[in-house]
Amino acid sequence: MAQQRKALWEADLDEELHDVDLNIAIGNYGQNGLYDDAQPRIDESTLLAVQHQVAQQAALAQIPDAVKRFIVHFHQAVLDNNLSEITVAYESGWNRLTEKFYAKTEWPEAEIIAPLVNDDQIFLILYRELYYRHVYSRIQPDIDDRFHSYENSCELFNYLLNSDGPVPLELPEQWLWDIIDEFIYQFQSFCVWRSKVKPKTDEELMLLADAGQAWSSYSVLNVLYSLIQKSKINEHLTALQEGKSADEIVEIVGEYGTKPLYRMLGYFSLIGLLRVHSLLGDFTLALKVMESVELNQKSPFTRVTACHVTTYYYVGFCYIMLRRYPDAIRTFVSILNFILRMRQYHTRSYQYDQINKTADRMYALFAVCNALSPSRVDDNISNTMKEKYGEQFTKMSRGEEGIPAFEELFLYACPKFISANPPPYEDAELLQAHIEESPVEPAQRHLSLFLSDVRAQAPVPTLRSFLKLYTSLDAKKLSNFLDADEEEMVQQLMVMKQASRSISRVENEKGLLGGQMISTSDLDFVIDENMVHIAESTVGRRYAGWFIRNTEHAQRVYDTVHNSPLPIPPKSASQVKADAAAAPPSAAPVSQRTGQRVAWGGNVKAA
Amino acid sequence: MVSASTWATPSTRTELIENLVSGVDRYNPSNVGILEDYLYHQIRSEEYDCLANLAILKLYQFNPDLYNPDVVINILIKALTSLPFPDFNLCISLLDERSASTNPDEPDPLPLLLPVLTSLHNLLQQCRFPAFWTLYRSEKAESLRDNYTVECVGFEDSVREVVIRGVKAAFKSIRMERLGNYLNLSDEDLNGYVAKLGWSIEASTGVVSIPPNPDNQIESTVVQEQIELPQLVKVITHTQSA
Repeated sequence: MAQQRKALWEADLDEELHDVDLNIAIGNYGQNGLYDDAQPRIDESTLLAVQHQVAQQAALAQIPDAVKRFIVHFHQAVLDNNLSEITVAYESGWNRLTEKFYAKTEWPEAEIIAPLVNDDQIFLILYRELYYRHVYSRIQPDIDDRFHSYENSCELFNYLLNSDGPVPLELPEQWLWDIIDEFIYQFQSFCVWRSKVKPKTDEELMLLADAGQAWSSYSVLNVLYSLIQKSKINEHLTALQEGKSADEIVEIVGEYGTKPLYRMLGYFSLIGLLRVHSLLGDFTLALKVMESVELNQKSPFTRVTACHVTTYYYVGFCYIMLRRYPDAIRTFVSILNFILRMRQYHTRSYQYDQINKTADRMYALFAVCNALSPSRVDDNISNTMKEKYGEQFTKMSRGEEGIPAFEELFLYACPKFISANPPPYEDAELLQAHIEESPVEPAQRHLSLFLSDVRAQAPVPTLRSFLKLYTSLDAKKLSNFLDADEEEMVQQLMVMKQASRSISRVENEKGLLGGQMISTSDLDFVIDENMVHIAESTVGRRYAGWFIRNTEHAQRVYDTVHNSPLPIPPKSASQVKADAAAAPPSAAPVSQRTGQRVAWGGNVKAA
Repeated sequence: MVSASTWATPSTRTELIENLVSGVDRYNPSNVGILEDYLYHQIRSEEYDCLANLAILKLYQFNPDLYNPDVVINILIKALTSLPFPDFNLCISLLDERSASTNPDEPDPLPLLLPVLTSLHNLLQQCRFPAFWTLYRSEKAESLRDNYTVECVGFEDSVREVVIRGVKAAFKSIRMERLGNYLNLSDEDLNGYVAKLGWSIEASTGVVSIPPNPDNQIESTVVQEQIELPQLVKVITHTQSA
């Protein structure tokens, strides 16, 4: 099987190489035909080349010195595999210079800065990765940007996957995640853009007609599967779960899997698959590819917060589409709590906004699940959800009349669904038909499927509110209250019963698809011939969680106070000067302060 | 207890199919024949394998040339009776919108049948069993019956199994007449069917009692809070370090 995976990737590669060969062949052929003409043409082309070079030099000269210095420094850091320097350049340098010089324009093209980095092709690929990401996020990418960013991604992955053995490159985990994340984002963005036929120019239509494999679902899946296979990440995760020793794992994962670069890319590709399959509407497969991933916050693979948040968002969403609302709720509660706890560290991260936006969408999905499967869950998260979406939540909890609210929140919070296939750009006639009768957008298709599930259980909230008032009640009487047909009402009771049961992971089943039927409602009933008997389960007040949380909070406050220096009386201006002048001896007063702090802490403890 | 693992991996699945469903070979268009044969095997022998059928739809999604409407309809028919599992909608999710049939000689039967299948699914999902049977026996569903479900061995019985799952969970006892309407069985057949289930009929009243199961046994409970040691780890650690 392993061999076949490789073959799949290589097949794609061969095709690309083939394309290149073909172009060269055609080029030669053309030149032969125009042999007489060759001399003046060469002169002309030399001239053009020189002009081009001059233009590039001029462009290079125009780049601000700060940017040039940054690029040279960045290049050196990559050459040295100096992770901390790369991280600084990547996470702060690049963004700072973007704000300063390139907030609304492109960074200099890779060809222009090439002389600064000795034409280092690998660095230029990495540079283009950043260049195009900046184009996508700050500026509207045009069709050339879209195809070129695809080519650049292919070059990067070719280099990683098809060099002789593992490449000697090291990159920060955050960047590796961003590479995969951006690759899928650009794929999704391309598919959405491609699906809109109307505003395209003739040139764009022509290019799209022979786009070939560029940004095809197959090519994207190929990359992800190849990285997974090269890094042996699934085998690695399974070995970790089986408690294998470090030496055994080295044995299992081989020369690629032991390198952090490949290991992390492999793991991120699994999450990438989860995402791609979700975007394409294959929610079962999305969860199935995650079979060897254990969702918990202790895994060594959760250090990249953005990856962690993405994982939970898509897993939770897939559970909704599988009608496993309790699992979805548990997934969202877990990650939303994580985000709340991490908030203090995140404000500085450049991904803070993105994480917050995803969190908001998860609160919306959490509201949706909780309306469909009411249960007592984490009060903290529930309260925040009600602050954000209280109005919609109230409507959704009322059944049929809440449908618009379900629709609103679903469309706001769902992934940006895509179609697997392009409109028929290669066939003008079909394309015309396509324009006249545009297919339903993917998001609308998934919405209508979701709403059909919601409608099916729409009568439940009303029934529930009546049943809550009784311990037993004749079906005829109940149908009179509801002003409904008795037989129809009994059938709705069966719906209510089904809505109160769900498949859910109860005992840490292996894989995210595993699970067993559980009861999800505190209100249960059974029909004996025509008499409805009702039983309600109540949950005793939960004190312990509250006390534990507040004890921990008190501890944190205590520790903070304990570790802070005593307040210093405000200094007069002359004193500040004196302090500044006598900088070296200042060590003494500091140690004195530390001493004081300890003594003061001791007092508190004694008291 | 219904378990999702038998749904994700039915015991009837062969190793060949398992490799296709779980490996990357599932993307290889040349394997579609194996999976389609397996579907027709399911149709003939009352087996069901949702994930294998989804793998066919995945191949159709990526390779529109492979699309075979008869296969899609058969997959949907099988998915229909998997309720309360969400299979039907999961299948529909993978059917990308396609432009109208390109070949006028061979009209695509799916656009005509899909609304019928969807209505049948909605009725079944909403436990409106008598309405399901009315629609199923109606003229609207004639082409579906004559060309498809007639080939699907035990289709009506598998619908009845969906009904039984619903009834078993909600009822302790049920009147014969009501049950007959749900199952679309006349008195005589109904007696046989109920006997086969091992349910007992009270002849004088015409009431069927349903044996106890986890869903039709109800009791009021009070859930008390339980504290696990790991929840207290932080507090205890702090006591030691303080």
